[in-house]
Amino acid sequence: MNMSKVVFGFFVLLAVTLNFGFFIGDIDNPQHHDVYELFAALVVSLIATVLKFGERSQMGAILLASSLVVNLHLLAAAVVWAVAVHVMEVGLTPRVMASIVSLSGGALLANLVSLVLLTLDTAGLSRK
Amino acid sequence: MSRHAHKSLVFLFLRRMRMPLVILISAYAIATVGFTLIPGVDDQGNPWRMSFFQAFYVVSYTGSTIGFGEVPYPFSEGQRLWTMVSIYLTVIAWLFSIGSIVSLLQDPAYTRALRRARLAWKVRNLNQPFYLVCGYGDTGRMLTSALTDRGYQVIVVEHNQEKVEALEVVEFLAPVTAFCMNANLPDNLIEAGLRSRWCTGVIAVTGEGHVNLKIAISATLLNHKVAVYASADTRNDADNMRSFNTDCVVNPVEEYVRRLELAIDKPDLFRLYHWLNSGPGARLARSTPIPRGKWIVCGYGRVGRAVYQLLRERGMDVTVIHPDPEQAGCPHGSVTGRGTQAEELRAAGVEDAVGIVASTSDDADNLSILITARALNPDLFHVVLENGLSSHALFRAAEPDFLGQPSMVVAGTILSRISSGLVEPFIQQLLQLNNDTGRDALARFLRHQSDHPPEFSSGRISNRRSPALARALTAGQRITVGNLLADPSNWRERLHLEVVMIRKQKEDILFPPDDLPLEMGDRLLLAGRDGEAQRLQAVLENDQRLDYLLTGRDRQQGLFWQWLERRSSG
Repeated sequence: MNMSKVVFGFFVLLAVTLNFGFFIGDIDNPQHHDVYELFAALVVSLIATVLKFGERSQMGAILLASSLVVNLHLLAAAVVWAVAVHVMEVGLTPRVMASIVSLSGGALLANLVSLVLLTLDTAGLSRK
Repeated sequence: MSRHAHKSLVFLFLRRMRMPLVILISAYAIATVGFTLIPGVDDQGNPWRMSFFQAFYVVSYTGSTIGFGEVPYPFSEGQRLWTMVSIYLTVIAWLFSIGSIVSLLQDPAYTRALRRARLAWKVRNLNQPFYLVCGYGDTGRMLTSALTDRGYQVIVVEHNQEKVEALEVVEFLAPVTAFCMNANLPDNLIEAGLRSRWCTGVIAVTGEGHVNLKIAISATLLNHKVAVYASADTRNDADNMRSFNTDCVVNPVEEYVRRLELAIDKPDLFRLYHWLNSGPGARLARSTPIPRGKWIVCGYGRVGRAVYQLLRERGMDVTVIHPDPEQAGCPHGSVTGRGTQAEELRAAGVEDAVGIVASTSDDADNLSILITARALNPDLFHVVLENGLSSHALFRAAEPDFLGQPSMVVAGTILSRISSGLVEPFIQQLLQLNNDTGRDALARFLRHQSDHPPEFSSGRISNRRSPALARALTAGQRITVGNLLADPSNWRERLHLEVVMIRKQKEDILFPPDDLPLEMGDRLLLAGRDGEAQRLQAVLENDQRLDYLLTGRDRQQGLFWQWLERRSSG
């Protein structure tokens, strides 16, 4: 067992689950989407990105790319949240909430790609 | 390969930054979450908690030690406690990550890799012909400075860090790029630009014969257009290199003995040969015939052995002095010693000898032999081997009759060959001449220059290389060698230039006479004062100037002037 692989797998998986947890629920209902979960998803996905730095393989490159996409989506969601609540002061209207959740839905898709790639990589490894 | 190396440098940087970045992100995340959880009080006294936006704002200016104070409302004691925790957390995380970036940038392995990547980038962007010189010893240094004097860029590959550093402070007339790496590995040569289309020649002059052999092989295989010049230590290596068409192979021992042989058999031809093949700083040797009689050879290494054989073949009586005659396989009757002591020299019969050869591998010993022997017998003829150039001033001061410098022999021989592919056949045919013809040839050169050796250049009579001359020849005009050598600004004068060889379709003509007619397709090898060949080249490309050379009259340009000219002449 390789400890670095455990850590890496842990963060990739955690990023997916947190992302999913935030995403699930009515798309425009603020009660169903917790801000802490979004924050956790963002931080874990940032760490997962950094862990993918410096991988030379083709798989590593695609993993890094998908991770960057996740970051982009989640950051956009967080910025929309902050602008709506603090700058425009319109509050979490259904319109705003829907936009935040759909952004996190995009992130979830990229996260799932990451997960599938990681699974493929592991499967390829065990066949050898 | 080099692009790959550059890429891996970026990967190395990113990989080393993983840990610091993870720590930084974690520290910020912990501090931010903490602020959102700790209860505070707003300006109306109501309980209040920070949102993520406000918490991240506070952490951002605390972590970067800017510190705006307590916004948006004065903090509660709980929030202040957490502020302290987050200050220490984030500041320490920053220090750690900046510290690792700095240590990475100062890491010798990293800086070396960075430097190499930068050099490789420079080589890829070269867009002028350059020479690749492998090995920067005495020979490499001479070649580099001579090549840059001729305006070529040079890339040096040398594995000794000190020599590379010494090179970097020297001023050259053209850019010189120095790689500190092992020339033995083909990948390194490729990184240094072996496969570049601007790579004109590869010169293998490292101290080790085997490495030179490998460089020659790599160069021949990896870039078949490149010219390869190499120095070989043994006859085996030299034959090996010639077998795969290395353009010029110099074996310093062979070359040294060849010159000594010439000096014995054809002294005037030797002076010419030595002058042409000793680099741009060569001086014409004095004409001192080598005496016949009893000789002493000190040191029975590769040079000593070859000189011994040569002298014996010329029917001279030779005594060898060597520290261990049995071991080295010295001939019968050899004297034990280094030759630096008067007793040893006397035992070898220095009083009635005519000459002495100091060919040990130690320069100090060689000088000592020369001085001691001269004290014992002032009329001796001295042949001295100078191994390294570090004590050159001493050798110059000791004024031996015949000085051998392997590094200069190699550099000079390679330099003359680099000028043109016709030099090698010219030299080969020159060596076949007898001494009187050699003396005449030397006299021809000496009409143009006194001490400085002539510069070789070559040209071809073709539509592309010499359009004006080609047009005149196709029009049926008879043009001779003598016509070409007239001064383009005053046709009664001669250029300080000689046509030393013409390569016709079937034969080579050495020192062609002035009245030899030129034909299309001829290749000319010229030698003369620096820059004179350029003046000739200008004539070959311009109909008007060529016409002036042939007729001695300036042809008028423009219809009006031509009409006027016709009227006045007829």
